[in-house]
Formats: sequence, C-alpha cells, structure tokens
Amino acid sequence: MDNKELWQSVLAQMQFHVSKANFATWFQNTEIILKEDKTVIISVPNAFSKEWLSNKYNKLILKALHEVDDQIKDLNFIIKPQSLKINPPLFRNNQIQEKVDTEQLKFDEFKVNKETNLNPKYTFDNFVVGSFNELANAAALAVAENPGNVYNPLFIYGGVGLGKTHLIQAIGNKISENGNKKKVKYISSEKFVSNIVSAIRGGSIETLKNSLSSIDVLIIDDIQFLAGKNKTQEEFFHTFNSLYEKNKQIVLSSDRPPNAIPELEERLRSRFEGGMIADVSLPDYETRLVILKNKAQEKNLNISEDVLEYIANNVKKNIRELEGALNRLSLHIKTNNDGITIDLAKQLLKGFVFSPFDVVSFKKIIETVSKFYSLDEKSIFNCTRRKEIVKPRQVAMFLLRKELKYSFPAIARKFGGKDHTTAIYAYKKILQENEENNKLTEELNLIKQRIYSG
Amino acid sequence: MKIEILKENLKMALNVVERIVGKNLSLPILDNVLIDTDENYLVLSSTDLETAIKLWILTKIVKKGKVAIPVKFLSSFISLLPNEKITLEEKKQGLYIECKNFKTQIQGSNPEEFPIIPEFKNLEFVDLDIKKVCQGLSQVVDIASVSQSRPEISGIYFLFSKNNLKIVATDSFRLAEKTIVLDKAVKKEISFIIPQKPAKEIMNILIEKDENAKIYFSPNQIMFEVQMKESEKPQIQITSRLIEGEYPNYQDIIPKDFKTKIVLKRDEFLNQIKTASLFSGKINEVKFIVNSKNNEVEIFAQSADIGENRSSLSAKIQGEDLEVSFNHKYLIDGLNNIKSSEVIFELSEKEGPCVLKPVGDVNYLYVVMPIKST
Repeated sequence: MDNKELWQSVLAQMQFHVSKANFATWFQNTEIILKEDKTVIISVPNAFSKEWLSNKYNKLILKALHEVDDQIKDLNFIIKPQSLKINPPLFRNNQIQEKVDTEQLKFDEFKVNKETNLNPKYTFDNFVVGSFNELANAAALAVAENPGNVYNPLFIYGGVGLGKTHLIQAIGNKISENGNKKKVKYISSEKFVSNIVSAIRGGSIETLKNSLSSIDVLIIDDIQFLAGKNKTQEEFFHTFNSLYEKNKQIVLSSDRPPNAIPELEERLRSRFEGGMIADVSLPDYETRLVILKNKAQEKNLNISEDVLEYIANNVKKNIRELEGALNRLSLHIKTNNDGITIDLAKQLLKGFVFSPFDVVSFKKIIETVSKFYSLDEKSIFNCTRRKEIVKPRQVAMFLLRKELKYSFPAIARKFGGKDHTTAIYAYKKILQENEENNKLTEELNLIKQRIYSG
Repeated sequence: MKIEILKENLKMALNVVERIVGKNLSLPILDNVLIDTDENYLVLSSTDLETAIKLWILTKIVKKGKVAIPVKFLSSFISLLPNEKITLEEKKQGLYIECKNFKTQIQGSNPEEFPIIPEFKNLEFVDLDIKKVCQGLSQVVDIASVSQSRPEISGIYFLFSKNNLKIVATDSFRLAEKTIVLDKAVKKEISFIIPQKPAKEIMNILIEKDENAKIYFSPNQIMFEVQMKESEKPQIQITSRLIEGEYPNYQDIIPKDFKTKIVLKRDEFLNQIKTASLFSGKINEVKFIVNSKNNEVEIFAQSADIGENRSSLSAKIQGEDLEVSFNHKYLIDGLNNIKSSEVIFELSEKEGPCVLKPVGDVNYLYVVMPIKST
C-alpha cells in the first residue's frame, strides 16, 4: 500500500470522528510525505493545521494508521505551504483587465521568471513557422521534447528581429512547463560575461561554476558577444564541457554561424558545430501576413485585410518592425476611435516604409559585401585578379543586378569601366554556383539579410 | 472562570481582537474570541487562520477557566454598558455578565474547538521601534498588488540587512520602498513577505504603541510582540502567515539614471494633477510636458466626452525637454505618501520607469511606470 492509499484510508476513518467543517478545515491539503520504519511524516498546509492535528487528533490519526499498518508507532507533522492556485475565472478576469490597460506600462522585470530568466510570453504556440525558419523550429521542438538527447548543442543563427530569442526562450518555457523538474537557465551573453567578471573580482568563481553545473538546460543568447573575451570563453568552455558530458542540453543563438564569429577560440567553434546548426532568415510575404494577423488578433485590433497586406508588402526588414508598424496603427485606433483606411495607413507608416536606412542602394551593397568579406571598400574596385577580391566583386555585381536591377553596362561602369560582358559573366557565375555550392548560398543569404536589416 | 474587569479595558481589548474576525461559515468557531486566564491576566485570542491576535490584560481573576464567545456581538454589547466594573463568569460554555444594573447571559461555543495559535519555539528576533516601522509601512502598504495571480507581490516585502530595514510593495505598475534605519544592526540578512491584510492590521494596531516591539521569525510565520512595561508578559502578540515565494529583484527596477529631473512644489503639483484627473477619461491619462526654457511643467488632460484642461507650474528643471503620460491615480498615490513640501520627479527615457521622492529625505522612493505615449 502506498502512502497515498494509506492516507486516504486514514481520512476515510477520520470522517466518522470529526465534524464536516472541521474535517474540511484541518485535513485539506494534507498528505503523507514519508513513511520510515515506525514513523510517518505528514505534511500540512499551515502552522494552525499543524498545531491542531498534533494536539487534538494525534491519537485518532495514529490509531487509524495503526489499524492499517501495525508497524507505525509515531507521527510527525511538517508544514509545507501550498502554492496558491489561481482560480481560472479570476485569471480570465485579469486578462480582460490587462487588455483594457494595455497602455499602462508594467515593470518588464516582473514578467520574467526569476529562476529561469525566461519570459513566459515566448512560446511555440505563438511562433509563426514558415519556410524561412522551418528547420530551426523543428529542431527547437525536438530539443524541447527530448532535451539533451537529440541535437546538442543546438545552435540557431539569423539576423536581428527574426525570432531567435523567441525560439530559444520557447524551448526553455516548454521544458520547464513539462513539469519534469528540469532546471532551465536562460542568460544573455552580456549577462554571462558580467557574471563571470564579477565572480572573478569577488573571488567566487567556484560558486558560479557550481551553480552552472547543476543546470539541465542552458540557453545562451547572442553568443557572438563572447568574441574576444578570452577568459569568459575559457570559463564557458569548461561549463560547456561539463554540461555536455552529462548530456545536458545547451542551446545557443547568434547573429551568424559559428565559423563566421571572429575571435572565437577554435575549440569552442568546433564544439558549436558539433550539434545542430539551424538558421532563421527573413520571412516571406505570406508569413509576414500571417504574423501580422496573429499579432493583430493578440492585440485585439480590428484592421482590414488590405491594410495588413499593405504592411506585409512594404515592411520587410524584420518581424520587430512589423510589430512596430502595427503598434503605430493600434495607437491611432485607440486615440481616435476610428478605423484605419489604406490611405491613412500609408500616411501613418511613412516612417516604417521609407526609412532612409532601408533603401537599398549601390553604396549599401558595396559596403555590406566588403564588410562581410573583411575588405576595404576601395579594394573591391581595384583592378586585380586576386582571388580574395575577385569573388567579393562578383558577388557585389550579382547583387547589384539581382536586387537593384542595374543594367549590366551600368554595373560595368561602376566598376571602373569594365566591359559589360564581365558583369554578365560575374552574374551568371554566381547564379550557377549559388545552385551548386551551399556555402555560397549561405553567404549570399547572410549578406542579403544584412543589407535589408541595416 | 470568573473575573472582574473595568469596562474601558475590556472594550479596548475587544476592539483590537475583533478586527481580524469576519463571518466564517465553514468554521463558525472562528467568529469567537477565546477568553482565557493566565496568572493574573485575562488573555483574549482571535484568529482567521491567517492572522492571530493574542492580548493580555491585567485583571482580578477570581476563578480560572476559559470560554469562547462571538466577538462582534460581545463587543457591541460591552460598548453599550456603563463605564463601571464588569464581572464575567463562565457557566456551561455561556458567559454571564454583570455590570451595575445589567444582568446578561451570552451563549458561547466549546472553547476546546478554538484553533490552537502556533507558538514560536525558536527565539530568533529583532527588537525595534515599532512606531517608526508602522509609519513607514503606512507609506507602502496600499501599493501591493490586489490580484492573487502573482502571490509574491500581493504582500509586503521586509528586508533586514545590516542596520537597514527596507519595506517594499509593488503591483508591477509602481513600486514603493521605505528605508528605516535601525538602532542596532542585524547579524544576518532576514527577509519575508507578509500578506497585505495582516500587514495593515499590524500597522493599525501597533502604530499607537510607544514601546519597542520584537519581531520573531520562523519559516512560515512571523510574530510581532509588544511587552508590558510592568511585567514580563507580552501585552499583545500578532502572528501572521507569510507568503511563500521569492520577491522579485526589485532593485533592478529602480532606475539608476534619468533624462530629466524636476523639482516641484508638492501641494501645487498634487492639486494640478487632481484637476487634470477630472478630464482624463477612461484610461486616466495625464500628460506632462517639460519645458526647460520657461522652467515650467505643463499638465494636460483631455477626453472626447468631457473636454480638456491645461495647467502649468513652475519647476526647477535639469535635463532635456520631454513629454510623458501617467495614470493620475498612481501619481496621486505616490504624492499622498510624500509629506515634504517639495518633491523630486525623475523622468527616464521613453517608456521607462520614473521616480518620485521627497526633497530632503532619502528614505522614501516611489517608482512609477508611464502610460504608452500617444
């Protein structure tokens, strides 16, 4: 007979000896938590129950227990406070109230779970999946369902505002929700570095190590900020190893793949690459529309389809911008209490659609490409056939053609009066290699992301 | 049991113990006060199973014993009696009361049914000036969150550290922190969260005490005790349940720097917010426009159905010009707890937390979040 059954049989007996009101008051939320030799330990919800049960009902309970199991000679009570359960109707009330009060800002820190550092608003349920993040989402889900055993470490990369943080926090939230008592910790790189720095200063590096090694799921955001911080990298390396050996899940995010993070120690890089690497890229038009619809629903906004389509068509930079555009409209609806027409939307969203930083220009492409390949902007125009310059130049030409629809002669002129056939050759070569060479495809995607996310 | 007591003494005691008693349908014994004897003292106890009050009164004890009587009823009856000596006698769970021309009998309940008030076995305690604590508590207590969805912020946070006691409450829109300097430093850090209701009772009951009080700690409960001057007995003990859970890292919320700092006359400021609040409409929005050129702050409120109101007051301004909106209720709550003639209002960057504090008092702080600006 297990403890639960044992206690149930005691409760059944107690009902005969105690009035209903007393029974409900004193025996609510009690249970046997331990049975050891001759002693039974019973948990009670508060000090009043403890006093009452141990002073008034001790004998009765002991007798009832003894009848079932004659080994039991002794009783002990301990207080185990009940976590307050939230009544569902109360909760709903709250939500309604929150909707009314959306303009009143809250302390952000309070939404965050203190132990895990996770923000509960990020879940898989409100993550929109499209072709651009399918793989990352599938990998994240697999990890959340089976942490430590499938893809370890999981490395997610992509540009700003594309949902990396959302995805990795959703993993943490899902795991801690499952209730299997896994210790989840989300930490941003910046915080991680400052923790290590203050631990070094305070001489408490061992305590920090111990606290990290007891974690089941470690999630670190924006890992690229570890670049160049050698001591932190070293500490992280040890933490990583000790967690990895114990099959603890590690999830990392970054704005670029591991091999593109400069000043990252080789041993760390190889470890990052040892698990699963998945990217999130820019959402396509359809996905943007779905995201907008979801967000509008979340915010309880009534915005017509054509306005949403207009936003989806014109705000392409990232998801954060989409939300910003929607916020702009929602503010207008609330203050003026009228609907949004397409013309009004155009006027309101001017700032989002025609931001000067957004417009892709010749200069922007050259700048991004040369930065990506760590070249001086001028050297890309140099009349040379050095391999490390030829390729970036061809990529730049390709992008000018593809993204800006420059004519081939125009491109040729920009590159110091080359023949227009050179431009055609470059375009075709990159186009073809794009299909054959995965590495190049990835590079192109990253460059495009940077061009558009500015 | 048979005792003799002055009406005034009994009335005062009953007024205290009846505070926490409500109508309890599931366990009617909780409607009662337990009247017991302890040496030469009459001991009154009441509880709602969250809070418990125990009160000692020096009286003439003729015969020992105890009785449980509905406290609201007893209290209203006693207050109508003439101001004379009262004789109380227990017979068969009832209470016989004699006072001058009155002879009364009130039916009670079995005193054995009355809950046992938990004792404090470990005697770790802090000794402090309770009046100061209660006054501090009064500046904070109303801020706590009413909603039970986040139990840990529905209570009042106490943090003893070195020679400081910090009392904190928040409802996630605003936060108040009161620091009290203790005469003696505590040996180790102690912190706990008291539910709002008992905190209010403790405040109301103990704010009138001139003596020091001791606070006893246990993991699930806390007890405030004031001792009698003339003897070793306590005159009152208030026990409360504590809220389980960890209080949020509230220190992170208090902004370290600000964009604009303004110093205003408190009364004028409060008055203008109250005026503006009449026009603020459903979302209670009152807008501040800081104009450093004229050394002026403009307060503006409008609503479609009522109209609009604009007022300005002179201020000492440091930093940039900006516009920010608040829920007027939150500002008024904060200003009501500040007693100094001038207040400092620190505004931080857009949509970040802002701080109200009195001029010349570093021990009070009120952090408030703005309304999303339109």
